[in-house]
Amino acid sequence: MQRESGKTDAPERRRSVVWSVLAQPRWLSALSVLGALAAWWAITAFAVVPAVLLPTPGEVVSATIDILRNGYRETTLWQNVGSTLWRCGAGFFLAVLTGVPLGLAMGYWPPIRAATNYIVQFMRPLPPLSYVILLIIWIGTDDRSKIVLLYLTAFPIVASSAMAGVRAVSQQRVQAARALGASEWQVFRYVILPSAMPLSFTGARIALAAAFSTVVAAELNAATDGLGWMVISASRFLRNDVIILGIILLGVLGVALSAIVLAVDRRVVHWRGIE
Amino acid sequence: MIKRSEMAGHRRMPDWVVTGCSVALLIVAWVVATEGGFVDDLFMPSPSSLWAGFTDLVEDGYKSRTIWEHAGLSLERVLAGFVTGAVAGTVVGLAMGYNRVIEACLAPFVEFLRPLPQLAYLVLLIVWFGIGETAQIVLLFLTAFPVSAIAAMDGVKSVSRQRMQVARSLGASNWQIFRFVVFPSALPEIFTGARLAIGVVYATLIAAEIIAGSTGLGWVILDAGRFLRSDYVFVGILAIGLMGLVLDYMLVAIEHRIVHWAGKY
Repeated sequence: MQRESGKTDAPERRRSVVWSVLAQPRWLSALSVLGALAAWWAITAFAVVPAVLLPTPGEVVSATIDILRNGYRETTLWQNVGSTLWRCGAGFFLAVLTGVPLGLAMGYWPPIRAATNYIVQFMRPLPPLSYVILLIIWIGTDDRSKIVLLYLTAFPIVASSAMAGVRAVSQQRVQAARALGASEWQVFRYVILPSAMPLSFTGARIALAAAFSTVVAAELNAATDGLGWMVISASRFLRNDVIILGIILLGVLGVALSAIVLAVDRRVVHWRGIE
Repeated sequence: MIKRSEMAGHRRMPDWVVTGCSVALLIVAWVVATEGGFVDDLFMPSPSSLWAGFTDLVEDGYKSRTIWEHAGLSLERVLAGFVTGAVAGTVVGLAMGYNRVIEACLAPFVEFLRPLPQLAYLVLLIVWFGIGETAQIVLLFLTAFPVSAIAAMDGVKSVSRQRMQVARSLGASNWQIFRFVVFPSALPEIFTGARLAIGVVYATLIAAEIIAGSTGLGWVILDAGRFLRSDYVFVGILAIGLMGLVLDYMLVAIEHRIVHWAGKY
């Protein structure tokens, strides 16, 4: 940009280049994370808090290596990550497969809405943990009750946002399509469905986040693997290093999941916001 | 919403009739299944045993506390965690939206905390604070915080540039722009965030009570479930559901009163 300033003030320019690189959000974020890690290290190194309460970064790293090598209580780390993702994914996809059609039907056809909406709206704000014990009584303690729990967490969110999507379709557009001679099916397929997609996808994103935050609760009772199980089991043995490893893994997975869903959303619903 | 002119020939039943029929059908199915002995009382309490459980809980309470005390304790925790978390999150979120350096420094932590399952860090909080009120309220604080922060940040970022420039060219100071332009424009999103936050806090409360407490509605449900008292479990679930609805309605009422200009510009 500042070509004309020439070579005379090279050191100053270098400093300003360094500063402008550092001032980029990405680097600032990286610095801030490094700062937090340094603070963590300092707190443990100078024993500000008792070592029982907070393990050192080194301990967490060696716990990670140990678990990668020997596993944790007869489970490998990948098995734990895998079964957490499997439960979460299974519950979520079942919810999308059933919730989106129901939501679309609820938005499109008032009698269906009248017959089912009150159930969905009662379930939506209900904390999933409040009925986890009921699912255990009904279904048992195996994977099925966990997947049903995550399904029930995601389902009302998906269904009500698909319904809201249909109801937000502009009347004019529907009427225009009708006036041009579109059949009922064509109106649904080419007008209502594309218009309802952005809200349905938003709902799916929220639902996946909700399912993911419930997955640890699902693994609270009678699980034998999963990241949530690992964290809870580690807490019984006061293995804080394993707890922190689990928290970091769950956090990274959560961030990754929401980034993936956002990318899919951008790709599939590319017409979002440009109507 | 979609008018079906094709159906004009025969009149459609009004919606409340359909809803009423659906509710009635559900209740009849429930009565037949339970009173008829098709489903064990253990799996699904009959209406009469549900009522008995309800009167039991109201009259005798559960484990040395009345049901109102349990509900009150739950409500106290929700409000303490939600109010502190939402206020702190909003302040931080406003700063993040207004200043890019603050945003860059804090965003990694907020973005990391948001999708993290609350139960995962609850176990750490228990190690730090012990089982009791502190761990639970800190948990709820941490739950509400990122949700409110991100909503407030998005709110500030969506303020129209033009409006800020107009205020500036009319001679407003930075503080005045913040106070009279940015903040009111962000307020609707802040309230949306608050509603989201109270929902998440409410869902997390149950986890907090199950793991780190021995009082409150969530604990009552879990404890009753351990003793296979599904009548108490059902009463508890209904109570929690109703309380959640009431909290949400209250927040909506406050929202309508304070941000009456939402969606009007």
